[in-house]
Amino acid sequence: MTTHLTHLTTDRSVRRYDDIRDLVARPADPTPLVRLNRVTPATTELYLKLEWMSPFGSIKDRTAAYLLAGMAERGELEGKELVEATSGNTGIALAALAALMGIPLTVTIPDGVPEEKKVLLRMLGAEVWETPDDLCPVDHPKDGAIALARSLAASENGTRYAMVNQYENPDNVRAHFETTGPEIWNQTEGRVRTFVTGFGTCGTITGIGRYLKEQDPTIRVIGVEPQKGHRLPGLKSFQEAKEPSILDRDVIDDVIRVDDDDAYGFTRRLYREEGLMVGPSTGAVVAAAHRLDGGGLIVGISPDSGFKYTSFFGDILGDEGLPRI
Amino acid sequence: MTNPQLSVADTLDTSGLLCPLPVYKAAMALKRLEAGEVLELICTDPGSLADIPALARQRGDILRGVEEREATQVFWIEKGPQP
Repeated sequence: MTTHLTHLTTDRSVRRYDDIRDLVARPADPTPLVRLNRVTPATTELYLKLEWMSPFGSIKDRTAAYLLAGMAERGELEGKELVEATSGNTGIALAALAALMGIPLTVTIPDGVPEEKKVLLRMLGAEVWETPDDLCPVDHPKDGAIALARSLAASENGTRYAMVNQYENPDNVRAHFETTGPEIWNQTEGRVRTFVTGFGTCGTITGIGRYLKEQDPTIRVIGVEPQKGHRLPGLKSFQEAKEPSILDRDVIDDVIRVDDDDAYGFTRRLYREEGLMVGPSTGAVVAAAHRLDGGGLIVGISPDSGFKYTSFFGDILGDEGLPRI
Repeated sequence: MTNPQLSVADTLDTSGLLCPLPVYKAAMALKRLEAGEVLELICTDPGSLADIPALARQRGDILRGVEEREATQVFWIEKGPQP
């Protein structure tokens, strides 16, 4: 008698997956969209798209999957190691995916990224080069991590490293145009009127903004920009950093500036009033959305959860929540 | 390529590396030295002629000498008293 081994395969309807990579969100299996019910007035319909409900913990999972797939298609990965400048989330997603592909990854990371992210990157096998923003004292914009990744990619005659280049790679935009954008449109049944997200690599705002505008050009797209010298990893202030080439200002209707106090204030409220354990950039998005008046259903991006920022939160809490004896 | 007046504690050759890699590696090498010790740094990126003195100023180190030899620059940096 022959015994046949039956193999189970990925079945999203029962949430069974053959490979961790099958869990990366796509329109057929989107990240959740959750309404805020307490932080906003009852008349405001504000939904957050919880991008951290994804295998490697952030919106960058889908970006990294697209970036690597594009590089593999173009033959750029053959015999190469990877290098990328990242504030952490792209690095974590890349490190996990690169490890699964057996490709070494070097990450250049700006100053001020929380220790938790750096440790996770090293746990995933990446080499982490911490870089002050003003690393190159002369002649370079305040993007030391990007400059360092570029110089690594150019060293050894370009034979050792392939740079992922999320700030310039159109696959970053494509990831959101083909997945996150359609998900938001489907999940809101086409009722989304305003879309809010932070400026970082600008793949999210450009990709989703472009998709939503193609469905309905009257949908408002709002960018959230932090203050100079901010403490909101993943977000960029263009007062101090160079605008990424993938940013398409034509899809943006308005920019709202949010300072750290506002962002962390709303982050705390999301924990205590909504049970949402988000990272600080989500607080910035909600702070911006809070300033919008009316105008129908709003969708904001929640890029990551708070677990990688506990050291930051500890600083902000001080002795709050400790017994007063 | 040595400077007879200085006792060099460490030599770092960044030939072929482009800015800001020499600056990054130099900063790491200086971190390992004690105050008063000298790093001999070899660079080939012409940008280093501006970047390395600026790095020394920024860190509070003392640039003890620079020598240009065709496409190569050699710097001798004495680690300053660090805060």
